Amino acid sequence: MFRKYSVLLRMKYVEMFAYRLATIVWMTGAMVQPLITMMVWMNIDPDQENAFIFYFAALIFVERMTSAWDVWELEREIREGTFSYQIVRPFHPIHWAIAENIVYKALFLVILIPAWGLLAVFIPALRLDQISAAQWLLFFCALLLAAVIRFLFSYTFGLLGFWVTKVTALYGMFEAVSLFLSGRIAPMSLLPPFLKTISFYLPFRYMVGFPIEILTGSVQGMDIVYGFGWAAVWCMFFMLAVLLLWKAGLRKNQAVGG
Amino acid sequence: MKRHWRIFCEFFRTCLVEELEYRSEFLGNFLSSLFGIGMAILTIQVFFYQTDNLGGWKYADVLLLLGIFNTLQGLIDFALRPNMSRLLQHIRMGTFDYVLTKPVDSMFYVSFRHLVFWRLIDVLLGIGLIIYALIQKHYMPTIMDAVMFFISIGSSLVLIYALWMMLMTTSFWVIRIDDLSFVFNSFFETTRFPIGMYRGWLRIVLTYILPAAFITSTPALSLLGKWNGMTTILSVVLAGLFLWISRRFWRYALRSYTSASS
Repeated sequence: MFRKYSVLLRMKYVEMFAYRLATIVWMTGAMVQPLITMMVWMNIDPDQENAFIFYFAALIFVERMTSAWDVWELEREIREGTFSYQIVRPFHPIHWAIAENIVYKALFLVILIPAWGLLAVFIPALRLDQISAAQWLLFFCALLLAAVIRFLFSYTFGLLGFWVTKVTALYGMFEAVSLFLSGRIAPMSLLPPFLKTISFYLPFRYMVGFPIEILTGSVQGMDIVYGFGWAAVWCMFFMLAVLLLWKAGLRKNQAVGG
Repeated sequence: MKRHWRIFCEFFRTCLVEELEYRSEFLGNFLSSLFGIGMAILTIQVFFYQTDNLGGWKYADVLLLLGIFNTLQGLIDFALRPNMSRLLQHIRMGTFDYVLTKPVDSMFYVSFRHLVFWRLIDVLLGIGLIIYALIQKHYMPTIMDAVMFFISIGSSLVLIYALWMMLMTTSFWVIRIDDLSFVFNSFFETTRFPIGMYRGWLRIVLTYILPAAFITSTPALSLLGKWNGMTTILSVVLAGLFLWISRRFWRYALRSYTSASS
């Protein structure tokens, strides 16, 4: 297993370098929307400026570390029939996707951490000296869990492609709703109470917002425990969904175009 | 001009025929457009849950701005976006040679050949939102407001076209990227909110260098009766300037184009 993974990782690493320009451009493009949202909030409440800068910088970081694109790939492969090549391999296709995610996110990490350090020299709001070791530990656990949930969520939708043709449109709708519920439009504390309540029970908060809340200290004590509890529940749910959909999907699959 | 109009009508007709083969998708597309604008309105409501103005604009004003934004976005998705990836493919495969040999201006051809009609739903929804916002505000634009609005929306269309073409022209050099259009999206997102929201150097950049301010804010202010003759003239001048630059850039790119595989 370990050897297989090291080969997969190396392969995906080489693949990534072929598209490095696209990756970098795509990555910078994804930062624009959070930055605009940040400016909106800085306008609404100028006193909280530093808090917003920190929140949205953390948001950009967490967004990159948890982003999931597998639904697009799976949908295309299933539609075009090239997914058959993956099915006949003796190693479950999900491992290819996981390896790809690890490689890309490692790249993001290598770029974003020095960038954060550099920016923190000029922007005091980004300095991290207030954060305790326990917070860091919890943050990394929550971040890992967030990446896993988001990946599984995306993969679940990708597998639905066996039955539904326009699965990316459906996924896009969920993404749009999740903007509110995951803390990307506003920090949880600024959401209307109704949205805040339902976001607690839905998976979206645990895909992006929850790790940031730990870092900013806006979630504390028992709320952190409940948060991890719900995150674990959703993680298990999507694991099961991927497992079941995979089995049912293989029976359903009729490779298009052979 | 007249000839180009006739050719455009011909593009329009062929694309319409093509699209009518997929009539059954109309409902789904309509629902997704409706959903999109609904989410955008909800976003603004989340902001206004905490405040009563955004960069000096009230709720109804921001809705009107969003209406204009949605309309323009619909027009971009209708006429410009479908052509971006096709140009890239032409350049990569070398089939761009066929475009060049056609007896029609190549820049015109590559920017309007393919149209996606159902995107016009977004235009209609945007116009609906503009009207709704005016009713909310109890404001009836005067004739002069309307004139100013149409002049400034005209320049914003030209500006969008020019900026879009400049980006599209870079594909002669950057052929590794599948779709450059999201670079434009990132810029265009900034026009979703009033220009008064941006501060310092960013506002200067978004007014004069990447003229986001003239794309949605100026038309919105005109329609609300807060126009200013100088700004409107400036928007026309800038639009002309950018169109000229994009034209020059296209010509320059054509000169450096060496077909593929030869």
